[in-house]
Amino acid sequence: MNEILSKEKSIYIQISEMIENDILRDILLEEEKVPSTNDLAKIYTINPATAAKGVNILVDSGVLYKKRGIGMFVSAGAKKLIMKRRKAEFYENYVRAIVEEAKNLGMTKEDLIKMIDEAN
Amino acid sequence: MKTLNCTGIVKKFGNNEVLHGVDLTLEKGKIYGLIGRNGAGKTTLLSIASGQNPATKGEVTVSNSDDIAVQPMKVWDNQDALDLICFSREINVTAGNQGIGGLKVKDYLRAARTYFPNYDKELEDRLVKEFELDVKKRMSKLSKGMLSMVTIIVALASRAPYTFFDEPVAGLDVVARETFYKIALEEFAESERTFVISTHIIEEAADIFEEVIFLDKGQVILKENTQELVERVVHVSGKEEEVDAICEGRKVYHVEKIGRSKAATVMLEPGEELKNTADITVQPMNLQQIFVAMCGKEA
Repeated sequence: MNEILSKEKSIYIQISEMIENDILRDILLEEEKVPSTNDLAKIYTINPATAAKGVNILVDSGVLYKKRGIGMFVSAGAKKLIMKRRKAEFYENYVRAIVEEAKNLGMTKEDLIKMIDEAN
Repeated sequence: MKTLNCTGIVKKFGNNEVLHGVDLTLEKGKIYGLIGRNGAGKTTLLSIASGQNPATKGEVTVSNSDDIAVQPMKVWDNQDALDLICFSREINVTAGNQGIGGLKVKDYLRAARTYFPNYDKELEDRLVKEFELDVKKRMSKLSKGMLSMVTIIVALASRAPYTFFDEPVAGLDVVARETFYKIALEEFAESERTFVISTHIIEEAADIFEEVIFLDKGQVILKENTQELVERVVHVSGKEEEVDAICEGRKVYHVEKIGRSKAATVMLEPGEELKNTADITVQPMNLQQIFVAMCGKEA
């Protein structure tokens, strides 16, 4: 939760991504309490309603769950869930674009795979 | 509903009408940003909304009860209503020791305490420490930033359900401004207060405003959820015909033309997304850029 907010993306999306990153990095563990929206608001100097919006995205996707009167907790299996979704997004946002651009440049599938091999 | 309502507020100074029928509803438990150019009428509006100045026409009412059977109270000349509102004005101190200038900071704060029934002396003490303000100094010896600190301390410590800050960060250095935003959020989180904060330093405060109010030439031209506004307003540029096609049927705020190229600030429908194409570039805008597009001079 120590990243800096940028102006590139909506604040609430950045909040949800930061919490996800912390889960992927084992900074926040499964079944552990995440900072409250008021804590997040104070840490990032943002409106609590915006912080809540970011947290609610994660509740809706099942990464976090609410314990009434106590706060938000990381769901069991959250890490797997985040990776699965991010893989799907990676395919949509990057892999497809790479294949598209490779076609534009007249590259074959083999050329592309070779390139990926080299980069790895 | 717990709200403060301004209805049809007109304010004339002599023949000069500075507010032209402002309607504004402030809900309990929200932070509003009031943004407008110099002379737009921000201070006048806040002073009328807080019952410090009479409106030429129109009415301000406030309700502090969720019971709909309870009638909202008129604010003007009504102590029960005034007790709910704090408007911490910019302090103007003349050189020398006349008037407010001659008071020591602690005496000024002591006087302020008597105005607000919920005043929290402990919070005042904490804020004085946080801002490292020397309360033994005379008001006339304070810098502009230090005077802003005094108004901030009074506003926060007033614990008034509706608290209006008039350019609270004017003259504050960047560290003190951060301190103010953090303390304001902390106090906001602990209470159900409504804050209205007017400011010219738009970008750094944008993220703490749940809603923004744009006041332009004596009129409220926009009141929107800040995040939604920033998502909906985009800068579209490219080939003139293509840009025109996108502007068609949409709210367009600011148009610029250079040769065959055209640029426009466009408001999209909620949830609508516009993608780059070969002929147009779609770029997000920040709150400050949106404000300039809406309230700046036409090119």
